[in-house]
Amino acid sequence: MLQRTIKLAWYKRNRYALTVVAIGLSVAFIVSTLLLTTSIADVGDPLNQSYAELDAAVSGPSVSAGDGPIAGISAPVPERVVDAINAAGFEAVGFSSPYAQVIDAGGNAGGQVQAAANIAEPWLGSSVLNGFAVVDGAPPSGLGEMALDQTTADGAGLSVGDTVTYVTDRGPQQADLVGIVSFGGANNDPYVSTVLLDASDPLFTVVAGHDYVLVAGDASAAEVTAAVSALGAVNGLTVESGPAWIAGEIEQLNSFLGFFETFLTVFAVIAVVVGMLIVTNTFTVSLAQRTQELALLRLVGTTRRQLMSQVVIEALLLGLAGTALGTGVGLIGVSAMGAFLDVLGLSIERSNAIAYSAIAIGAIVGIGVTVVAAVLPARKATGVAPIEALRTSEVEPPSAGRRRQVLVLITSLLGLAALVFGSAQGDILYAGIGIGVLFLALYLGGEYLIRATARVARPFLSLAGPTGGLASRNLERNAGRTAAAASALMIGVSLISFFTLMAATIGQFIAGDSADAITADYVVQGVGNPPGPVLNDELLIRLESVDGVATVAPTRLTTVTPVTEAEVSRPGPGDGVLGVAMADIDELQAVFDFEVVAGSLADVGGSSVVVDEATAESLSVGVGQPLAVTALAGSVDLQVVAVVASSLPGQPQPAIVGDVELADVVGYTEPATLAYVKATTSQAVLTNAVGIPTIDVLSTDDYVASLGSNLDTILALVYALLAVAVVIALVGIANTVSLAISERVGEIAAVRAAGASRRQIFWSLISEFGLLALVGVVSGVAFAWVAAASFFRALSGGQISYPETDMLSGLLIIVGGMLGGVLAAWLPSRSASRANLLDVLKAE
Amino acid sequence: MKNTPTTTIPDPADDDNVASLVGATKTFGEGDAAVTAIDDVTIGFRRGEFTAVMGPSGSGKSTLMYCQSGLDKLSSGKAYIGDVDVSTLGDQELSVMRRSQLGFIFQSFHLVPALTARENITLPVDLDRVAQVDESFLNELTEVLAIQNRLGNRPSELSGGQRQRVAVARAMIPRPDVIFADEPTGALDSRTSGELLKYLRQAVDALGQTIVMVTHDAVAASYCDRVVYVQDGQLVGEARHPSVDDVLDKIRELS
Repeated sequence: MLQRTIKLAWYKRNRYALTVVAIGLSVAFIVSTLLLTTSIADVGDPLNQSYAELDAAVSGPSVSAGDGPIAGISAPVPERVVDAINAAGFEAVGFSSPYAQVIDAGGNAGGQVQAAANIAEPWLGSSVLNGFAVVDGAPPSGLGEMALDQTTADGAGLSVGDTVTYVTDRGPQQADLVGIVSFGGANNDPYVSTVLLDASDPLFTVVAGHDYVLVAGDASAAEVTAAVSALGAVNGLTVESGPAWIAGEIEQLNSFLGFFETFLTVFAVIAVVVGMLIVTNTFTVSLAQRTQELALLRLVGTTRRQLMSQVVIEALLLGLAGTALGTGVGLIGVSAMGAFLDVLGLSIERSNAIAYSAIAIGAIVGIGVTVVAAVLPARKATGVAPIEALRTSEVEPPSAGRRRQVLVLITSLLGLAALVFGSAQGDILYAGIGIGVLFLALYLGGEYLIRATARVARPFLSLAGPTGGLASRNLERNAGRTAAAASALMIGVSLISFFTLMAATIGQFIAGDSADAITADYVVQGVGNPPGPVLNDELLIRLESVDGVATVAPTRLTTVTPVTEAEVSRPGPGDGVLGVAMADIDELQAVFDFEVVAGSLADVGGSSVVVDEATAESLSVGVGQPLAVTALAGSVDLQVVAVVASSLPGQPQPAIVGDVELADVVGYTEPATLAYVKATTSQAVLTNAVGIPTIDVLSTDDYVASLGSNLDTILALVYALLAVAVVIALVGIANTVSLAISERVGEIAAVRAAGASRRQIFWSLISEFGLLALVGVVSGVAFAWVAAASFFRALSGGQISYPETDMLSGLLIIVGGMLGGVLAAWLPSRSASRANLLDVLKAE
Repeated sequence: MKNTPTTTIPDPADDDNVASLVGATKTFGEGDAAVTAIDDVTIGFRRGEFTAVMGPSGSGKSTLMYCQSGLDKLSSGKAYIGDVDVSTLGDQELSVMRRSQLGFIFQSFHLVPALTARENITLPVDLDRVAQVDESFLNELTEVLAIQNRLGNRPSELSGGQRQRVAVARAMIPRPDVIFADEPTGALDSRTSGELLKYLRQAVDALGQTIVMVTHDAVAASYCDRVVYVQDGQLVGEARHPSVDDVLDKIRELS
C-alpha cells in the first residue's frame, strides 16, 4: 500500500514539485518568523544575575511615563539620600547614567549605536552593586582609563591597549581602553552601551541628583527595604525592594521588546494564513484530475477507505517533503532576517537557542494543512460513482452554493457596519473587528469577485481577439478553484498597501503641518539615543561665531503629564504625555512661524506658555486659563497665554512651548539637545564648526524626514517580511497556473487543433491569469485603503479623516503586483503553449 | 473487388488532389530502439472523396493521418496540403492552415468546456480575426446535425453524440479543404455512430467535402468511397465502396 502510494506520488513528481516548493516556502516563512520571535533574548537573566545582591532601590516620583521611543522622566534623587543611607550602615550607590558615546576608528559613533542608551557608569570595584566583571585586561583605575562592555568594544572594533575617543556632554574625551567587561554573564547590559570610568571622573559630578539609588545590606531584601523606607531622607521618594526593582526594569525592557514580539507574531500569523491558502489551493485546483484518477482506482476495486488512506499518505509525503525543505530554509532564513535587522539598526539581542515550538508549528501547518487540504476535495471526488467520473471528460469546477452567497452578504454587511460604527465612534476595537470581518467576506466572496471581473473584462479582452474572450470565459469558469490564489495575493498586497498608508499618515502626523513653518535653515542635534549628547555652551558659542550665522536657537525638550480629567487624545507615540519645548521665545520666532490663533506670543515667559490648538481643544483650556501639569518640580500650574495653529515638530511633538525660564518652573536642568540655526553658511562649514562626530548638522528637510526615521526602519522590516509573503503568494499563483494548465491540456489542444497559434494560446493564458492577479492586487489595495481610513479615523478620534494617500505608491503597488502575477504565469503558460500538440491529443 | 495498392504518384499541383504524401517515412526513437511507423508511403486524397484508413493497432494509420495533416513531422518524404509542403510551414502558418483549410474530429471530442456549443463551433473562424462566420451555413449545419437547440449549452450539458456533432460542425464551419477524423465513432454507441457516419457521408455527397477518416470499424469503413489498408507502416491494399463483409475479409486476411 505504502509502496504503491509512494510510486504513484513519485510518478507525479513533476506536477507536485512546485506544490512542495510552495508548501516549503510557506513553512520556511512560518519557521523563520517564529524562530526570530522566540529568539529575542531573555533580558531577565543578566539583570537577575548581576544584581543578585541588590536589596533595595530608591527612585524619584514619576513625572511622565515612558512610551515607545520616548523615555520616561522621574524626579532625581538628591545626593544627600545616598549619604543618609550609607550613614545608616548600608551600601548605597547613586546612578546618573550620563551620556557617553564611543567613537570608532572611522570617526563615527561606534559600538552599539542602536542601543537604547549610550551611557557612562562609574567602576564600582568589589562592591556587590557592581554589575560588571572584567573578562580581559584590568578595570579602570584613575582618570584617562576606561573599560568597555564586550559588545560595544567588538562593535567599534576596539581592543585593550587602544586609545579611545568618546563623546560626553562635555564634548569629545580620550582615554586608554584597559579592560573589557561582561554584565551578569552576558556581553553587555541589555540594550545599553556602557563606558566604565573611574568613579572620580568629573562626568559623575552630581548636579541635580541621581536617576536611582541602589542599596545593598547584610539583612534580607525585605528587611533592608523596610529599614531604608524608615529613613527620613527618603521622604517623598519611592523605595522598592531589589527584586521588585529588577522586575520593573525587566518589564520596561520587555514592553519595548513586547511590541516587537507582537509585531513579529502578527507576521507569523500572516505567514500561516498565506501558507494555508496556498496549500489548499494546490489541491482544489487539480480537482478534476484527481476525481478521474480516484475514480479509476475505485473502478479497479479500491475501497473508499483504501482510497482515503492513499490520499492521506500522499499528502503526508508531500507535507513531509515540503516541511523538511521549509524547515531547512527557515533555519537559514532566520539568520538572514537577523542580519537584516542588524543592517536596519534594529539590533535585537538574540539567543541562538532553537525553539522547537516554532518548528513544530511549521510542521503542523506544512503537514496538517496539506493533509486536510488534500482530504476535503478527495472526499468530494470519491463520492461520485466511479463510472460517472470516468465517463465525463470534463468535471465541472465546483461553484460555491447559495449558502456561501448568503454568508458573503451577511459578513460584508456586518463588517461594514462594524467599520462605520468603529470609525465614527472612535472605537478601535470595532474598527478592527470590522476590518477582520470584511476581510473574511472578501475571502469568501473572492470567487464572485473574479467572476464579475471576468464578465466586466470580457468586452475589452474580446477586442484583443477571440482568445481574449476565451481567457475571460475560462477565468469565470474556474473562479471557484483559483480564488484562493487570488486571496493569497490579496493578503500580501493589502498588507503592503496598509503599511505604506500607515507610514505616510503617521509620518505626516509627526512632521505635521509645522514642518513647513520652520524657517530655520539647519537643525543641530545629537545622533545618539536619549539621553542624547547635549549642546554645551562652548559649542553654541562656536556656532554663533561662524560667519553668516544669524540665529542659533538652542531648544530644551522634556515631557510633562497634564493633571486633568479629560483624556488627552493624541495619536502616535507618547499618548497622554505632553512634549514641552523651552527656548528664547524671540529666537524661536525667528526660526519658526507660529500661527497665533488666540492670545499673544509677547506674553510668553516664566510659567506663561503657548499651547497648540489640538492640545488646547482636547484639554479644554484657552488663553488666560491655567494648565496644571506634573513636572520634575512636582505639580506646576502653567498659564496659557497664546494658542497656535501648530507647534514645533518633534517626537513627541511639543504641545507646550515656553521661554527659557520655563525650565526653572518645571525643574528641568539639562542643557539643550537641539538648536535651530538660521544661517547663510554651508552645511559643511557648520559641521566643521561643531566638530563633534556625534552631533549632526541637518538641513531642515533632512531633520523633518528624520523625525519619521524610526518609522522608516520598522517599515523597511515590514516591507522585507511582506515581500517574502508576496513572493510566496506568487509562487502559489505560479503553482496554481501550472496545475490549472496541466488540468486543461485537453482543451488547450482542442483550441490548437481548431487553428489557434502558440502565440494566441500563450496570450490567452497570460490574460486569464493576469486578470486573476489583477483581482487580487486591486482588491488588496482597495481593502487596505478602506481599512486604513477607518483605522485612522477610529484611532485619531476623527482628527485624521483619510489616510495620506499617495497615488503613485498605489499605482506602483498595483503595477508591481500585476507584473509579479504575470511573471508567475509566464513560464507555465509558455510551456503549455509550446507543448507538442500531438502528444497532448494522443494522451487524451 | 480491386485490392491493388495505389502506385500512381499523386501530383500536388493537380487541383483535385487535396492532400498527398510522397515517399513519406516516419521513424520514432533512434538506433536499436527505432520504430518505423510509416515506411515510404505515397498516397493522394482527392477532392470530394470519403476515405477510410484502416489497419490493425500499431499499423501506423494514425501516424499517417497526423503527418498528412501537419500535426506531426515526417522523418523523410513530403506531405502536401494542396500544393503546399507542410514541412516548410512554421507554427503561425500551420495554425492558420488548421483554422482555414483543415478540420479535425477526434475520438474524445476535444471541445472547450468554457465555451458554449455555438462558440465551440465558430472557434476556428473566430480565431481568424478577419474571417466572418457564415451564419446561413452555420444554420444549415446545425440543423442538419440536429444541435440547433443546444447551441447555448456548454459541452458538459450535452450528450456524447451531441458533443461529437458539435465537433463535426466545428470541423466543417471554415469549409475546409479536408477533414481529418481520428476514430470519430470510437466513443459512441452503434446507433449514434451510425447517425454520425450518415452526417459525414451527407457532407461529402451534398457539399463535396473531402474526409480522411482513420478507423478500425468495418461498419464505419463501409460508408466510405475508398478504403486504404495499412500494415507495418505500408499501404497493403485499397478498395472502392467495399461492403462491411469485404472489409472484414480483408482485415482477416491481413491479420
